[in-house]
Amino acid sequence: MNNSTWLIRREFWENRAIWMIPAVFGGLLLLAALFGQVSIPRLTSPKESEEAAAAFLVVVGAMFYLVMGVYSTWYLLDCLYTDRKDRSILFWKSLPISDATTVLCKLLIGMIIVPLVYFAAADATALIAAFILSIRARASIGSSLWNADVWGQVQVLWMYAIVTTAIWYLPIAGWLMLVSAYAKRAVMLWAVLPPLLLYILERVFFGTTTVGHIIARRLTGLPSVSFNGSKYVWTHEGGVVDNASSAAPSVWHLINPSGFFSSAEVWIGAAIGIALIVVAIQLRMRRSEI
Amino acid sequence: MAALIEARDLTKKYGAHIALDRANLNVEAGRIVGLIGPNGAGKTSALRAILGLTNYEGHLTVLGREPFRDRTELMNECCFIADVAVLPSWLRVDQAIDFVAGVHPRFRRDRAMAFLAKTQVTGKRRMRELSKGMKTQVHLALTMAIDAKLLVLDEPTLGLDILARRAFYDALVNDYMDETRTILITTHQVEEVENLLTDIIFIDKGRIVMDTSLEDVATRFSAVAVTADRLDAARAEKPFYERHILGKVVLYFENADLGKLGSLGEIHTPSVSDLFVAKLSGAAA
Repeated sequence: MNNSTWLIRREFWENRAIWMIPAVFGGLLLLAALFGQVSIPRLTSPKESEEAAAAFLVVVGAMFYLVMGVYSTWYLLDCLYTDRKDRSILFWKSLPISDATTVLCKLLIGMIIVPLVYFAAADATALIAAFILSIRARASIGSSLWNADVWGQVQVLWMYAIVTTAIWYLPIAGWLMLVSAYAKRAVMLWAVLPPLLLYILERVFFGTTTVGHIIARRLTGLPSVSFNGSKYVWTHEGGVVDNASSAAPSVWHLINPSGFFSSAEVWIGAAIGIALIVVAIQLRMRRSEI
Repeated sequence: MAALIEARDLTKKYGAHIALDRANLNVEAGRIVGLIGPNGAGKTSALRAILGLTNYEGHLTVLGREPFRDRTELMNECCFIADVAVLPSWLRVDQAIDFVAGVHPRFRRDRAMAFLAKTQVTGKRRMRELSKGMKTQVHLALTMAIDAKLLVLDEPTLGLDILARRAFYDALVNDYMDETRTILITTHQVEEVENLLTDIIFIDKGRIVMDTSLEDVATRFSAVAVTADRLDAARAEKPFYERHILGKVVLYFENADLGKLGSLGEIHTPSVSDLFVAKLSGAAA
Protein backbone atom coordinates (compact mmCIF):
# COMPACT_ATOMS: atom_id res chain seq x y z
CA MET A 1 0.00 0.00 0.00
CA ASN A 2 1.25 3.48 -0.68
CA ASN A 3 1.28 6.56 1.52
CA SER A 4 -2.10 7.88 0.37
CA THR A 5 -3.83 4.66 1.33
CA TRP A 6 -2.30 4.85 4.79
CA LEU A 7 -3.24 8.49 5.14
CA ILE A 8 -6.84 7.67 4.28
CA ARG A 9 -6.89 4.81 6.78
CA ARG A 10 -5.49 7.18 9.37
CA GLU A 11 -8.36 9.62 8.73
CA PHE A 12 -10.83 6.82 9.43
CA TRP A 13 -8.99 5.97 12.67
CA GLU A 14 -9.02 9.57 13.77
CA ASN A 15 -12.46 10.60 12.56
CA ARG A 16 -14.76 7.78 13.45
CA ALA A 17 -17.58 10.25 12.91
CA ILE A 18 -17.08 9.71 9.16
CA TRP A 19 -19.08 6.50 9.43
CA MET A 20 -20.69 6.86 12.86
CA ILE A 21 -22.80 9.92 12.02
CA PRO A 22 -24.39 8.38 8.90
CA ALA A 23 -24.85 5.09 10.78
CA VAL A 24 -26.62 6.81 13.67
CA PHE A 25 -28.62 9.05 11.34
CA GLY A 26 -29.71 6.03 9.29
CA GLY A 27 -30.64 4.24 12.49
CA LEU A 28 -32.84 7.17 13.55
CA LEU A 29 -34.58 7.19 10.17
CA LEU A 30 -35.20 3.46 10.49
CA LEU A 31 -36.67 3.97 13.95
CA ALA A 32 -38.97 6.58 12.45
CA ALA A 33 -39.94 4.15 9.68
CA LEU A 34 -40.60 1.46 12.27
CA PHE A 35 -42.57 3.44 14.84
CA GLY A 36 -43.57 6.68 13.14
CA GLN A 37 -47.02 7.35 11.82
CA VAL A 38 -47.43 6.18 8.24
CA SER A 39 -50.19 7.74 6.18
CA ILE A 40 -49.67 7.16 2.53
CA PRO A 41 -52.59 7.64 0.13
CA ARG A 42 -53.52 4.61 -1.95
CA LEU A 43 -51.51 4.58 -5.16
CA THR A 44 -53.62 3.84 -8.17
CA SER A 45 -51.60 4.27 -11.35
CA PRO A 46 -48.13 2.91 -12.23
CA LYS A 47 -47.01 6.52 -12.69
CA GLU A 48 -48.08 7.42 -9.16
CA SER A 49 -46.37 4.35 -7.87
CA GLU A 50 -43.15 5.20 -9.64
CA GLU A 51 -43.32 8.77 -8.37
CA ALA A 52 -43.76 7.52 -4.84
CA ALA A 53 -40.65 5.36 -5.16
CA ALA A 54 -38.66 8.25 -6.61
CA ALA A 55 -39.91 10.67 -3.95
CA PHE A 56 -39.06 8.23 -1.19
CA LEU A 57 -35.52 7.67 -2.43
CA VAL A 58 -34.88 11.32 -3.20
CA VAL A 59 -36.08 12.42 0.23
CA VAL A 60 -33.91 9.86 2.02
CA GLY A 61 -30.97 10.80 -0.19
CA ALA A 62 -31.48 14.52 0.31
CA MET A 63 -31.50 14.14 4.08
CA PHE A 64 -28.20 12.26 4.00
CA TYR A 65 -26.80 14.78 1.54
CA LEU A 66 -27.59 17.67 3.90
CA VAL A 67 -25.99 15.97 6.90
CA MET A 68 -23.01 15.14 4.71
CA GLY A 69 -22.69 18.81 3.72
CA VAL A 70 -22.54 19.89 7.34
CA TYR A 71 -20.05 17.17 8.29
CA SER A 72 -17.75 17.72 5.31
CA THR A 73 -17.66 21.45 5.98
CA TRP A 74 -16.71 20.82 9.57
CA TYR A 75 -14.15 18.17 8.57
CA LEU A 76 -12.36 20.37 6.04
CA LEU A 77 -12.26 23.27 8.47
CA ASP A 78 -10.85 21.09 11.23
CA CYS A 79 -8.54 18.69 9.40
CA LEU A 80 -5.34 20.78 9.22
CA TYR A 81 -6.04 22.56 12.50
CA THR A 82 -6.44 19.75 15.08
CA ASP A 83 -3.01 18.21 14.62
CA ARG A 84 -1.45 21.64 14.97
CA LYS A 85 -3.51 22.27 18.07
CA ASP A 86 -2.54 19.00 19.78
CA ARG A 87 1.01 19.24 18.33
CA SER A 88 0.74 15.78 16.74
CA ILE A 89 1.77 17.48 13.49
CA LEU A 90 5.31 17.09 14.83
CA PHE A 91 4.83 13.34 14.77
CA TRP A 92 3.24 13.23 11.31
CA LYS A 93 5.93 15.48 9.92
CA SER A 94 8.65 13.19 11.21
CA LEU A 95 7.53 10.67 8.60
CA PRO A 96 8.50 10.75 4.93
CA ILE A 97 5.15 11.96 3.64
CA SER A 98 4.95 15.22 1.73
CA ASP A 99 2.65 18.00 2.87
CA ALA A 100 1.01 18.03 -0.54
CA THR A 101 0.07 14.36 -0.19
CA THR A 102 -1.33 14.99 3.28
CA VAL A 103 -3.44 17.98 2.21
CA LEU A 104 -4.72 16.29 -0.96
CA CYS A 105 -5.68 13.13 0.95
CA LYS A 106 -7.68 15.22 3.40
CA LEU A 107 -9.36 17.01 0.50
CA LEU A 108 -10.18 13.64 -1.05
CA ILE A 109 -11.72 12.49 2.23
CA GLY A 110 -13.86 15.61 2.57
CA MET A 111 -15.01 15.85 -1.03
CA ILE A 112 -15.25 12.26 -2.29
CA ILE A 113 -14.86 9.63 0.40
CA VAL A 114 -17.22 11.13 2.97
CA PRO A 115 -19.92 11.59 0.27
CA LEU A 116 -19.41 7.95 -0.83
CA VAL A 117 -19.85 6.78 2.76
CA TYR A 118 -23.07 8.82 3.04
CA PHE A 119 -24.24 7.48 -0.31
CA ALA A 120 -23.74 3.91 0.90
CA ALA A 121 -25.50 4.72 4.17
CA ALA A 122 -28.41 6.37 2.33
CA ASP A 123 -28.78 3.30 0.10
CA ALA A 124 -28.68 0.88 3.00
CA THR A 125 -31.17 2.99 4.98
CA ALA A 126 -33.51 3.35 2.00
CA LEU A 127 -33.38 -0.38 1.35
CA ILE A 128 -34.30 -1.32 4.90
CA ALA A 129 -36.83 1.51 5.25
CA ALA A 130 -38.51 0.48 1.99
CA PHE A 131 -38.81 -3.03 3.37
CA ILE A 132 -40.33 -1.76 6.63
CA LEU A 133 -42.73 0.66 4.93
CA SER A 134 -43.85 -1.90 2.36
CA ILE A 135 -44.95 -4.14 5.18
CA ARG A 136 -46.47 -1.43 7.36
CA ALA A 137 -48.36 0.25 4.51
CA ARG A 138 -48.86 -2.73 2.25
CA ALA A 139 -52.53 -1.90 1.72
CA SER A 140 -51.78 1.47 0.14
CA ILE A 141 -48.38 1.16 -1.50
CA GLY A 142 -47.82 -2.56 -1.95
CA SER A 143 -44.48 -3.11 -3.64
CA SER A 144 -44.30 0.38 -5.16
CA LEU A 145 -41.05 1.21 -3.39
CA TRP A 146 -39.36 -1.76 -4.99
CA ASN A 147 -38.79 -0.30 -8.38
CA ALA A 148 -35.47 -1.41 -9.84
CA ASP A 149 -35.51 1.24 -12.53
CA VAL A 150 -36.05 4.08 -10.06
CA TRP A 151 -33.37 2.62 -7.77
CA GLY A 152 -30.91 2.54 -10.62
CA GLN A 153 -31.75 6.13 -11.49
CA VAL A 154 -31.18 7.31 -7.93
CA GLN A 155 -27.73 5.68 -7.94
CA VAL A 156 -26.91 7.72 -11.04
CA LEU A 157 -28.29 10.82 -9.37
CA TRP A 158 -26.06 10.27 -6.34
CA MET A 159 -22.90 9.72 -8.34
CA TYR A 160 -23.66 12.78 -10.43
CA ALA A 161 -24.36 14.83 -7.31
CA ILE A 162 -21.08 13.73 -5.69
CA VAL A 163 -19.00 14.67 -8.73
CA THR A 164 -20.71 18.01 -9.36
CA THR A 165 -20.71 18.90 -5.66
CA ALA A 166 -16.98 18.19 -5.40
CA ILE A 167 -16.17 20.40 -8.38
CA TRP A 168 -18.65 23.18 -7.60
CA TYR A 169 -17.64 23.51 -3.96
CA LEU A 170 -13.89 23.21 -4.58
CA PRO A 171 -13.30 26.93 -3.89
CA ILE A 172 -15.25 26.65 -0.63
CA ALA A 173 -13.26 23.53 0.32
CA GLY A 174 -10.01 25.27 -0.62
CA TRP A 175 -10.90 28.26 1.54
CA LEU A 176 -11.83 26.05 4.50
CA MET A 177 -8.54 24.14 4.23
CA LEU A 178 -6.56 27.34 3.90
CA VAL A 179 -8.16 28.63 7.09
CA SER A 180 -7.56 25.27 8.74
CA ALA A 181 -3.86 25.41 7.86
CA TYR A 182 -3.52 29.06 8.88
CA ALA A 183 -5.63 29.94 11.92
CA LYS A 184 -4.15 29.80 15.39
CA ARG A 185 -7.60 29.59 16.95
CA ALA A 186 -11.29 30.07 16.15
CA VAL A 187 -11.27 28.47 12.72
CA MET A 188 -15.00 29.06 12.39
CA LEU A 189 -14.58 32.81 12.80
CA TRP A 190 -11.65 32.86 10.40
CA ALA A 191 -13.73 31.02 7.83
CA VAL A 192 -16.68 33.41 8.06
CA LEU A 193 -15.30 36.82 9.02
CA PRO A 194 -12.96 37.69 6.12
CA PRO A 195 -15.65 37.13 3.44
CA LEU A 196 -18.15 38.96 5.60
CA LEU A 197 -15.73 41.84 6.06
CA LEU A 198 -15.12 42.03 2.30
CA TYR A 199 -18.87 42.14 1.77
CA ILE A 200 -19.34 44.95 4.32
CA LEU A 201 -16.37 46.98 3.04
CA GLU A 202 -17.62 46.72 -0.51
CA ARG A 203 -21.09 47.85 0.54
CA VAL A 204 -19.82 50.74 2.59
CA PHE A 205 -17.22 52.06 0.17
CA PHE A 206 -18.68 51.21 -3.22
CA GLY A 207 -22.34 50.71 -2.41
CA THR A 208 -22.27 47.46 -4.41
CA THR A 209 -22.76 43.84 -3.38
CA THR A 210 -20.69 41.90 -5.92
CA VAL A 211 -18.80 39.91 -3.27
CA GLY A 212 -22.03 38.98 -1.54
CA HIS A 213 -23.56 37.87 -4.82
CA ILE A 214 -20.56 35.74 -5.77
CA ILE A 215 -20.54 34.01 -2.38
CA ALA A 216 -24.29 33.50 -2.26
CA ARG A 217 -24.26 32.19 -5.82
CA ARG A 218 -21.47 29.73 -4.97
CA LEU A 219 -23.28 28.51 -1.86
CA THR A 220 -26.72 28.04 -3.42
CA GLY A 221 -26.26 27.96 -7.19
CA LEU A 222 -25.27 24.33 -7.72
CA PRO A 223 -28.74 22.89 -8.55
CA SER A 224 -29.42 25.54 -11.17
CA VAL A 225 -26.16 24.66 -12.94
CA SER A 226 -26.15 20.91 -12.58
CA PHE A 227 -29.86 20.18 -13.13
CA ASN A 228 -32.38 21.06 -15.82
CA GLY A 229 -34.33 23.16 -13.39
CA SER A 230 -36.50 24.96 -15.90
CA LYS A 231 -38.02 21.98 -17.62
CA TYR A 232 -38.76 19.92 -14.56
CA VAL A 233 -40.25 20.94 -11.26
CA TRP A 234 -40.18 19.35 -7.86
CA THR A 235 -43.67 18.37 -6.69
CA HIS A 236 -44.70 18.97 -3.13
CA GLU A 237 -44.12 15.33 -2.32
CA GLY A 238 -40.54 15.75 -3.42
CA GLY A 239 -40.90 13.83 -6.68
CA VAL A 240 -39.92 15.18 -10.03
CA VAL A 241 -42.49 15.90 -12.71
CA ASP A 242 -41.81 16.57 -16.33
CA ASN A 243 -43.54 19.79 -17.33
CA ALA A 244 -43.13 19.20 -20.98
CA SER A 245 -44.68 15.78 -21.30
CA SER A 246 -46.59 13.36 -19.19
CA ALA A 247 -43.92 10.69 -19.42
CA ALA A 248 -42.51 9.46 -16.13
CA PRO A 249 -39.56 11.58 -14.93
CA SER A 250 -36.15 10.20 -15.66
CA VAL A 251 -32.84 11.06 -14.07
CA TRP A 252 -31.38 11.35 -17.55
CA HIS A 253 -33.65 14.30 -18.20
CA LEU A 254 -33.06 15.80 -14.80
CA ILE A 255 -29.29 15.96 -14.78
CA ASN A 256 -27.51 18.42 -17.01
CA PRO A 257 -23.88 17.26 -17.34
CA SER A 258 -23.25 19.01 -20.64
CA GLY A 259 -24.46 22.27 -19.14
CA PHE A 260 -22.46 21.74 -15.96
CA PHE A 261 -19.18 20.72 -17.54
CA SER A 262 -19.30 23.45 -20.16
CA SER A 263 -20.06 26.20 -17.64
CA ALA A 264 -17.31 28.80 -17.28
CA GLU A 265 -18.60 29.50 -13.78
CA VAL A 266 -17.82 25.90 -12.78
CA TRP A 267 -14.25 25.94 -14.05
CA ILE A 268 -13.38 29.44 -12.85
CA GLY A 269 -14.52 28.30 -9.40
CA ALA A 270 -12.49 25.11 -9.67
CA ALA A 271 -9.39 27.07 -10.67
CA ILE A 272 -9.82 29.35 -7.65
CA GLY A 273 -10.29 26.25 -5.51
CA ILE A 274 -7.03 24.74 -6.77
CA ALA A 275 -5.20 28.01 -6.10
CA LEU A 276 -6.52 28.09 -2.52
CA ILE A 277 -5.43 24.48 -1.99
CA VAL A 278 -1.93 25.29 -3.26
CA VAL A 279 -1.79 28.08 -0.67
CA ALA A 280 -3.03 25.66 2.01
CA ILE A 281 -0.19 23.26 1.12
CA GLN A 282 2.35 26.08 1.35
CA LEU A 283 0.98 27.07 4.76
CA ARG A 284 1.11 23.45 5.86
CA MET A 285 4.80 23.33 4.94
CA ARG A 286 5.62 26.42 6.98
CA ARG A 287 3.39 26.11 10.01
CA SER A 288 3.84 23.46 12.62
CA GLU A 289 2.28 23.62 16.01
CA ILE A 290 0.33 26.62 17.19
CA MET B 1 34.50 13.15 6.69
CA ALA B 2 31.73 15.30 5.27
CA ALA B 3 29.53 16.99 7.79
CA LEU B 4 26.11 15.47 8.36
CA ILE B 5 24.67 18.85 9.21
CA GLU B 6 26.27 21.97 7.87
CA ALA B 7 24.91 25.44 8.52
CA ARG B 8 26.43 28.71 7.32
CA ASP B 9 24.86 32.00 8.31
CA LEU B 10 21.64 30.25 9.21
CA THR B 11 19.10 32.95 10.05
CA LYS B 12 15.48 32.73 11.06
CA LYS B 13 13.33 35.76 11.71
CA TYR B 14 9.83 35.94 13.07
CA GLY B 15 8.77 39.44 12.15
CA ALA B 16 11.17 41.75 13.97
CA HIS B 17 12.35 38.98 16.30
CA ILE B 18 15.55 37.26 15.21
CA ALA B 19 15.51 33.70 16.51
CA LEU B 20 18.66 32.60 14.71
CA ASP B 21 21.32 35.12 13.86
CA ARG B 22 23.84 33.93 11.24
CA ALA B 23 24.51 30.71 13.09
CA ASN B 24 27.25 28.36 11.88
CA LEU B 25 27.39 24.76 12.90
CA ASN B 26 28.82 21.44 11.88
CA VAL B 27 27.74 18.05 13.04
CA GLU B 28 29.74 15.02 11.96
CA ALA B 29 28.65 11.42 11.65
CA GLY B 30 28.83 9.09 14.64
CA ARG B 31 28.60 11.85 17.24
CA ILE B 32 26.12 12.58 20.00
CA VAL B 33 25.76 16.32 19.94
CA GLY B 34 24.06 18.43 22.54
CA LEU B 35 22.63 21.72 21.37
CA ILE B 36 22.44 23.55 24.63
CA GLY B 37 21.04 26.92 25.46
CA PRO B 38 18.68 28.73 27.80
CA ASN B 39 14.99 29.02 26.97
CA GLY B 40 14.40 31.19 23.95
CA ALA B 41 18.01 30.92 22.77
CA GLY B 42 17.06 29.64 19.32
CA LYS B 43 17.44 25.89 19.92
CA THR B 44 14.01 25.02 18.66
CA SER B 45 14.33 27.36 15.69
CA ALA B 46 17.59 25.69 14.73
CA LEU B 47 16.03 22.25 14.97
CA ARG B 48 12.94 23.31 13.04
CA ALA B 49 15.21 24.52 10.26
CA ILE B 50 17.31 21.33 10.33
CA LEU B 51 14.18 19.17 10.15
CA GLY B 52 12.63 21.13 7.30
CA LEU B 53 9.71 22.29 9.40
CA THR B 54 10.31 25.92 8.62
CA ASN B 55 11.94 28.05 5.96
CA TYR B 56 15.09 30.03 6.75
CA GLU B 57 17.78 32.23 5.30
CA GLY B 58 21.38 31.18 4.77
CA HIS B 59 22.97 27.91 3.77
CA LEU B 60 21.89 24.64 5.39
CA THR B 61 22.36 21.04 4.34
CA VAL B 62 21.38 17.97 6.31
CA LEU B 63 22.53 14.61 4.96
CA GLY B 64 23.37 16.49 1.79
CA ARG B 65 19.85 17.85 1.32
CA GLU B 66 18.12 21.16 1.76
CA PRO B 67 15.70 20.38 4.58
CA PHE B 68 12.82 22.71 3.76
CA ARG B 69 12.74 21.81 0.09
CA ASP B 70 13.40 18.08 0.55
CA ARG B 71 11.76 17.30 3.89
CA THR B 72 10.01 14.20 2.56
CA GLU B 73 13.22 12.63 1.27
CA LEU B 74 15.14 13.76 4.35
CA MET B 75 12.69 11.98 6.63
CA ASN B 76 13.64 8.67 5.01
CA GLU B 77 17.02 8.93 6.70
CA CYS B 78 16.36 11.19 9.64
CA CYS B 79 14.01 10.74 12.57
CA PHE B 80 12.96 13.13 15.21
CA ILE B 81 11.19 13.18 18.50
CA ALA B 82 10.03 16.68 19.19
CA ASP B 83 8.78 16.38 22.72
CA VAL B 84 7.23 13.08 23.70
CA ALA B 85 3.71 14.38 24.05
CA VAL B 86 3.00 14.67 20.35
CA LEU B 87 1.57 11.25 19.57
CA PRO B 88 -2.12 11.95 18.87
CA SER B 89 -4.42 10.93 21.70
CA TRP B 90 -6.76 8.86 19.50
CA LEU B 91 -4.00 6.72 18.00
CA ARG B 92 -3.74 3.10 19.15
CA VAL B 93 -0.31 1.56 19.64
CA ASP B 94 -0.88 -1.09 16.97
CA GLN B 95 -2.19 1.55 14.56
CA ALA B 96 0.91 3.65 15.15
CA ILE B 97 3.13 0.68 14.32
CA ASP B 98 1.05 -0.24 11.25
CA PHE B 99 1.13 3.31 10.00
CA VAL B 100 4.86 3.87 10.39
CA ALA B 101 5.54 0.41 8.95
CA GLY B 102 3.32 1.34 6.02
CA VAL B 103 4.88 4.68 5.17
CA HIS B 104 8.51 4.34 6.27
CA PRO B 105 10.79 2.25 4.04
CA ARG B 106 13.40 1.83 6.78
CA PHE B 107 11.08 0.80 9.59
CA ARG B 108 11.60 -2.69 11.02
CA ARG B 109 8.47 -3.92 12.75
CA ASP B 110 10.24 -6.74 14.60
CA ARG B 111 12.54 -4.25 16.30
CA ALA B 112 9.65 -2.09 17.44
CA MET B 113 7.79 -5.13 18.75
CA ALA B 114 10.89 -6.42 20.55
CA PHE B 115 11.35 -3.07 22.23
CA LEU B 116 7.70 -2.80 23.25
CA ALA B 117 7.70 -6.37 24.55
CA LYS B 118 10.03 -5.14 27.31
CA THR B 119 7.43 -2.59 28.43
CA GLN B 120 3.95 -2.66 29.91
CA VAL B 121 2.44 -1.20 26.75
CA THR B 122 -0.05 -3.33 24.83
CA GLY B 123 -1.23 -2.90 21.26
CA LYS B 124 -4.86 -1.97 21.73
CA ARG B 125 -4.21 0.93 24.09
CA ARG B 126 -4.81 4.46 22.87
CA MET B 127 -2.20 7.15 23.52
CA ARG B 128 -4.62 9.07 25.74
CA GLU B 129 -4.78 6.04 28.06
CA LEU B 130 -1.00 5.84 28.46
CA SER B 131 1.15 7.64 31.00
CA LYS B 132 3.74 10.09 29.72
CA GLY B 133 6.48 7.58 30.40
CA MET B 134 4.68 4.90 28.41
CA LYS B 135 4.08 7.28 25.52
CA THR B 136 7.80 7.94 25.51
CA GLN B 137 8.45 4.22 25.27
CA VAL B 138 6.07 3.93 22.32
CA HIS B 139 7.65 6.87 20.55
CA LEU B 140 11.11 5.50 21.19
CA ALA B 141 10.06 2.06 19.94
CA LEU B 142 8.76 3.63 16.73
CA THR B 143 11.87 5.73 16.28
CA MET B 144 14.49 3.16 17.21
CA ALA B 145 12.99 0.66 14.79
CA ILE B 146 13.83 3.06 11.96
CA ASP B 147 17.26 2.55 10.52
CA ALA B 148 18.07 6.24 10.34
CA LYS B 149 21.35 8.05 10.02
CA LEU B 150 20.33 11.03 12.08
CA LEU B 151 18.10 11.19 15.13
CA VAL B 152 17.03 14.58 16.39
CA LEU B 153 15.59 14.95 19.87
CA ASP B 154 14.03 18.22 20.97
CA GLU B 155 13.70 18.45 24.75
CA PRO B 156 12.91 14.74 24.68
CA THR B 157 12.31 14.29 28.37
CA LEU B 158 10.29 17.39 29.13
CA GLY B 159 7.66 16.61 31.73
CA LEU B 160 8.97 13.12 32.50
CA ASP B 161 9.81 11.97 35.99
CA ILE B 162 13.36 10.97 36.88
CA LEU B 163 12.77 7.23 36.34
CA ALA B 164 11.33 7.71 32.88
CA ARG B 165 14.09 10.14 31.96
CA ARG B 166 16.80 7.73 33.02
CA ALA B 167 15.09 4.89 31.12
CA PHE B 168 14.85 7.08 28.03
CA TYR B 169 18.54 7.90 27.90
CA ASP B 170 19.61 4.37 28.82
CA ALA B 171 17.56 2.96 25.96
CA LEU B 172 18.98 5.56 23.64
CA VAL B 173 22.60 4.80 24.43
CA ASN B 174 22.33 1.03 24.86
CA ASP B 175 19.79 0.02 22.24
CA TYR B 176 20.12 2.68 19.60
CA MET B 177 23.46 4.37 19.34
CA ASP B 178 26.18 2.87 17.22
CA GLU B 179 28.93 4.28 15.01
CA THR B 180 26.64 4.59 11.99
CA ARG B 181 24.26 6.90 13.76
CA THR B 182 24.29 10.48 14.84
CA ILE B 183 22.15 12.03 17.51
CA LEU B 184 21.41 15.71 17.99
CA ILE B 185 19.76 16.58 21.29
CA THR B 186 18.52 19.92 22.48
CA THR B 187 17.91 20.50 26.12
CA HIS B 188 18.20 23.17 28.71
CA GLN B 189 18.87 20.57 31.38
CA VAL B 190 22.58 20.16 30.73
CA GLU B 191 23.43 17.94 33.68
CA GLU B 192 21.04 15.30 32.39
CA VAL B 193 22.87 14.68 29.13
CA GLU B 194 26.44 15.66 29.78
CA ASN B 195 27.79 12.13 30.30
CA LEU B 196 26.46 10.84 27.04
CA LEU B 197 27.48 13.65 24.72
CA THR B 198 30.55 13.61 22.52
CA ASP B 199 30.11 17.19 21.34
CA ILE B 200 28.53 20.32 22.68
CA ILE B 201 27.18 23.37 20.95
CA PHE B 202 26.17 26.32 23.11
CA ILE B 203 23.62 28.65 21.67
CA ASP B 204 22.48 31.96 23.10
CA LYS B 205 20.35 34.76 21.66
CA GLY B 206 20.33 33.09 18.27
CA ARG B 207 24.11 32.82 18.00
CA ILE B 208 26.44 29.87 18.43
CA VAL B 209 28.58 30.69 21.45
CA MET B 210 30.72 27.56 21.41
CA ASP B 211 31.02 24.42 19.30
CA THR B 212 33.48 21.83 20.52
CA SER B 213 34.01 18.15 21.25
CA LEU B 214 34.25 16.99 24.83
CA GLU B 215 37.84 15.81 24.27
CA ASP B 216 38.71 19.38 23.37
CA VAL B 217 36.98 20.73 26.43
CA ALA B 218 39.55 19.00 28.62
CA THR B 219 42.48 20.53 26.78
CA ARG B 220 40.98 23.93 26.10
CA PHE B 221 39.28 24.76 29.34
CA SER B 222 40.42 24.69 32.89
CA ALA B 223 39.11 25.92 36.20
CA VAL B 224 41.04 26.82 39.29
CA ALA B 225 39.71 27.46 42.77
CA VAL B 226 41.82 30.08 44.50
CA THR B 227 41.74 31.80 47.85
CA ALA B 228 41.28 35.56 48.08
CA ASP B 229 45.01 36.33 48.52
CA ARG B 230 45.86 34.76 45.16
CA LEU B 231 42.94 36.28 43.30
CA ASP B 232 44.86 39.11 41.68
CA ALA B 233 47.58 36.78 40.44
CA ALA B 234 44.95 34.49 39.00
CA ARG B 235 43.10 37.35 37.36
CA ALA B 236 46.29 38.29 35.54
CA GLU B 237 45.89 35.06 33.54
CA LYS B 238 42.66 36.44 32.04
CA PRO B 239 39.86 34.17 33.21
CA PHE B 240 36.64 34.56 31.24
CA TYR B 241 34.42 33.91 34.23
CA GLU B 242 34.58 33.96 38.01
CA ARG B 243 32.38 32.27 40.50
CA HIS B 244 32.43 32.91 44.24
CA ILE B 245 31.79 29.86 46.40
CA LEU B 246 32.32 29.44 50.13
CA GLY B 247 35.08 31.97 50.50
CA LYS B 248 36.92 30.74 47.43
CA VAL B 249 36.79 31.97 43.89
CA VAL B 250 36.62 29.59 40.95
CA LEU B 251 38.14 31.08 37.84
CA TYR B 252 37.57 29.69 34.37
CA PHE B 253 40.24 29.86 31.70
CA GLU B 254 40.47 29.08 28.05
CA ASN B 255 43.83 28.00 26.55
CA ALA B 256 45.65 29.17 29.65
CA ASP B 257 49.18 28.39 30.79
CA LEU B 258 48.61 25.35 33.00
CA GLY B 259 52.00 25.70 34.69
CA LYS B 260 51.15 29.11 36.03
CA LEU B 261 47.62 28.09 37.02
CA GLY B 262 48.97 25.03 38.86
CA SER B 263 50.92 27.25 41.20
CA LEU B 264 47.74 29.14 42.16
CA GLY B 265 45.51 26.22 43.04
CA GLU B 266 44.24 22.86 41.96
CA ILE B 267 43.30 22.68 38.29
CA HIS B 268 40.25 20.73 37.16
CA THR B 269 38.30 20.39 33.95
CA PRO B 270 35.00 22.20 34.24
CA SER B 271 31.84 20.17 33.80
CA VAL B 272 29.60 20.92 30.85
CA SER B 273 27.06 22.61 33.10
CA ASP B 274 29.74 24.81 34.69
CA LEU B 275 31.14 25.65 31.31
CA PHE B 276 27.65 26.46 30.08
CA VAL B 277 27.01 28.86 32.91
CA ALA B 278 30.50 30.34 32.59
CA LYS B 279 30.31 30.81 28.85
CA LEU B 280 26.84 32.29 28.85
CA SER B 281 27.33 34.54 31.86
CA GLY B 282 30.71 35.56 30.51
CA ALA B 283 29.23 36.42 27.17
CA ALA B 284 26.54 38.47 28.83
CA ALA B 285 29.04 40.40 30.99
